[in-house]
Amino acid sequence: MSIQNVILKLQEFWAERGCYIASGYDNEVGAGTMSPDTFFRVLGKKPWRAAYWQPARRPDDGRYGQNPNRVQKHNQFQVILKPVPSEGQMLFLDSLIYLGVDISIHDIKFDEDNWASPSLGAWGVGWQVMCDGLEITQFTYFQQAGGLELNPNTLEITYGVERLAMFLDGQNNVYDLDWGNGVSYGALKLEEERQFSIYNFETADIDMLRGVFQHYQREAERLLEHQLYMPAYDYLLKCSHAFNMLDARKAVSVAERTALMGIMRNLSARIAQKYVMQTEGEKNG
Amino acid sequence: MADFLFELGVEEIPAPAVSGIRDQLRDLFSARLAQLAISHGDIECAASNRRLMVHITRLPEKTANKEETVLGPTKRIALDSRGLPTVALKKFCEFNHVKFSDVVEIETAKGVYLGLVRIAGGEETAELIRAFIPEILSALTFGKTMVWNGSRQPFIRPIRNILALFSNKLLAVEFAGIKSANRAVGHLLMSDSFFEVNSFKDYVQGLVKNFIILKEDERKNKIMGEIRDIELELDGRVGIDDGLLDYYVFSNEYPVAFSGTFDSKYLSLPEEIITTFMTQEKKLMPVYDRAGKLVNAFVGVANIPDENKKVSRGNEKVIRATFEDAQFFWDMDRKLDFFSLKPLLKNVMFQKELGTFLEKVERLASLVDFLVNETRNGPLRETLHKAACHCKNDLLTKMVREFPSLQGIMGGLYLKEAGEEKSVWKAVYGHYQPRGLVKEKLDDLGAGILSIADRMDNIAGFVNKGIKISSSKDPYGIRRDANAIIKIIVDFELVLDLGPLIRLAVLNFSKNDADLQRDCETIQGFFLSRLENSLKDFWQFRYDVVNAVLDKSTLAIYDIYLKAAALTQLSESGLVEPLSSLQRRLKNIGKGFARCNFSEGLLKEKEEKILSDVFKESKPRIDALIIHKNYLQASSEILEMKPIIDRFFDKILVMDENVAVRQNRIALLQSFDELLSGVADFSLLVELKPGEKI
Repeated sequence: MSIQNVILKLQEFWAERGCYIASGYDNEVGAGTMSPDTFFRVLGKKPWRAAYWQPARRPDDGRYGQNPNRVQKHNQFQVILKPVPSEGQMLFLDSLIYLGVDISIHDIKFDEDNWASPSLGAWGVGWQVMCDGLEITQFTYFQQAGGLELNPNTLEITYGVERLAMFLDGQNNVYDLDWGNGVSYGALKLEEERQFSIYNFETADIDMLRGVFQHYQREAERLLEHQLYMPAYDYLLKCSHAFNMLDARKAVSVAERTALMGIMRNLSARIAQKYVMQTEGEKNG
Repeated sequence: MADFLFELGVEEIPAPAVSGIRDQLRDLFSARLAQLAISHGDIECAASNRRLMVHITRLPEKTANKEETVLGPTKRIALDSRGLPTVALKKFCEFNHVKFSDVVEIETAKGVYLGLVRIAGGEETAELIRAFIPEILSALTFGKTMVWNGSRQPFIRPIRNILALFSNKLLAVEFAGIKSANRAVGHLLMSDSFFEVNSFKDYVQGLVKNFIILKEDERKNKIMGEIRDIELELDGRVGIDDGLLDYYVFSNEYPVAFSGTFDSKYLSLPEEIITTFMTQEKKLMPVYDRAGKLVNAFVGVANIPDENKKVSRGNEKVIRATFEDAQFFWDMDRKLDFFSLKPLLKNVMFQKELGTFLEKVERLASLVDFLVNETRNGPLRETLHKAACHCKNDLLTKMVREFPSLQGIMGGLYLKEAGEEKSVWKAVYGHYQPRGLVKEKLDDLGAGILSIADRMDNIAGFVNKGIKISSSKDPYGIRRDANAIIKIIVDFELVLDLGPLIRLAVLNFSKNDADLQRDCETIQGFFLSRLENSLKDFWQFRYDVVNAVLDKSTLAIYDIYLKAAALTQLSESGLVEPLSSLQRRLKNIGKGFARCNFSEGLLKEKEEKILSDVFKESKPRIDALIIHKNYLQASSEILEMKPIIDRFFDKILVMDENVAVRQNRIALLQSFDELLSGVADFSLLVELKPGEKI
């Protein structure tokens, strides 16, 4: 199955189960979790069901286009179900069946994998879902975000689109995948992966990245003073990507890592509090 | 008689936690039944990652009747001067829902009380069990908990079903917002979500029909049997790792072993890397040929039969990608100048408050130097200086960042690739070994010495920062470090008293003399207790043998180990009892007398003179034997003198009227006690009757 069909099918499936189909966020993010459609909406009391396709950047995962299934920018399909439905696992298996997986002949396992994002002050408990040894999905019960306990909790299902497509298509190499209508993944992405791997590991300007981290941080703080927590969150995301780039360049010392993580955690907590205060009123502030 | 069936359906419990939860459940049920005096037959517990089952047989429908006395206030307090009930008695009656007329006088050793004598018991067992199930479930403890619904009940993973049948009748139980129902959860992939259960028989049949093997050993046997079949088919041997086997047993309800192959070009990667990526990253087992050489195949365990080879083919693809990753890390890391990485360790935190790995590596130099001197391994000095200098560089490699368990090993391999001498890279390679007390004997002395230095530095640092090492938890692995040090010393027969090494290691951290003193004492006490434990539990020495050889004043570990071995051998040849009774006798008679030297001038009788001569003649020889750690021979020689000592006891009255003579005789006997004590305190050995064993 092509990449675009995986995405279309998942959109269809989850739309029928009450999800609003969002667009992926237009900012560099390391994971679908960082989109405001997840980060803000898991906070507070309001029920929320959303599904969206999100390209995710992880500079350190670059392999110069040489690895058959690891890339520095991959595609996630994110599903957010709040509150947690009691049949979440079954819904997920149904979605695999909908995609055409015969679950009676494939070894699907829910394998312990707890998720945490220290910079977002967020963590959850759950599994990586393995299909014949291939990790195709992260399945997480959110416990905390922005340093706040979540009540109600949210179920987050994050499909790895390339992994799923490779599995469904029986492909050994991500670059051999059909993105859709005969456009290959390789034709679209190989050069991008090669160039970005060189950039991420070798060429990115470390001083520039340190500099923009500080600029972004100051802007986020300034915006918070104006109660503009949404733009502030954008700048937090920019900080996070700058940090990931610095990390891929091995430019982050111990002391610096602790300090930068602390800055981001602190920003995410303040942003989350402002959001909750505004949307839930004084009683939850 | 009734039976009780309980099954909790849970979303996939992490495999390592399952057996512990099952045991907790058994203990909690057993304790509650005992507390409520409910008699019962077997409590059978079984668990997988998706269900926890308890089946209890031979339960009474009602609990047994028994007379129960409830004491109220004393008669004096209960009744006023006119014999009418006081407030105290009124409250008592109210509390117990009885009338004054129900109250009787009860004579006790402490006087007369008013109270109740009533028939207790006869309660519905079903109701009692129903009521305590939620309490038991809340009492379970987990490493990490979560909440998922409005009940906010913390548990290890979401609960999906509660089955509770007493005598085939459903008990109405509610926990974490889940109500009990006549059903059990099915197999994740091969059956419906639930199957109906109205009796234990139903349940057992339902499990079979739904491809659920509930008993842990059945799952294990199935896996092992299938692995054997694969071994025959491949004409090889599967590298079975106990941890991985447990993982398979507790992460599959219907385990099926399968095999697959991979491109043999990946066999050019170091074997350590191949097996680590296979086992840790992909939970697959390596395969070796008859000669023990790694081959391009793997074995895994699925939760379903793999008739179409889909699972096997899928895993083949995945392992290829994994090896591509391994190759990438290996190639990238080898592009680094490994020797130049050390200064960058300033960026790698050793532990919060304990500084960076650069500081640690710099501390290791002096510890290694000291160890080389103490253990008389001068020729290793240069090797170990180099090894210590580069032993943590691999923390900066991609491979170790991805797989921390490869630390040390990768350092060794990268040094080897960089053309370093074998003695150096082997020392780095093995310096995280052993991982505690392991059966395998260690083989690289250099690695052993470096390991002692590294681990003693860990222990000193953590103790100095006030990390408690007495508790049952060991988050920093200090206990494992201490055990490893003991194992290394014994394996390489190192003549080393740990006292001075501890002091040197602590000096790197302590700010003042008081700290230094305190930390040294803490660590010495800790090592004494680790030594005692390892001698008893790991080397399986008798507890009294261990008591006899442990000496609080020294941590000469190998010495103490040899003494324990000698005593064990003596005991097996039946020679330890005479020595033990001898030393007991010597100690008894010398009790309360200060230790002093005997003088030959005061010896009068023939027997004491002989004894003195024998002592003088044999002491230098026995001392020499002890210095050469020939404790067996030393003990035997002392034993040879026993008839002469016995004769002395027979013929000589130690407690002579003349104080000087008496003192001198005691001193003579004390000399023998002291001689024996050079080996051990035999008096602490337990006397065994013939055929009796400890």
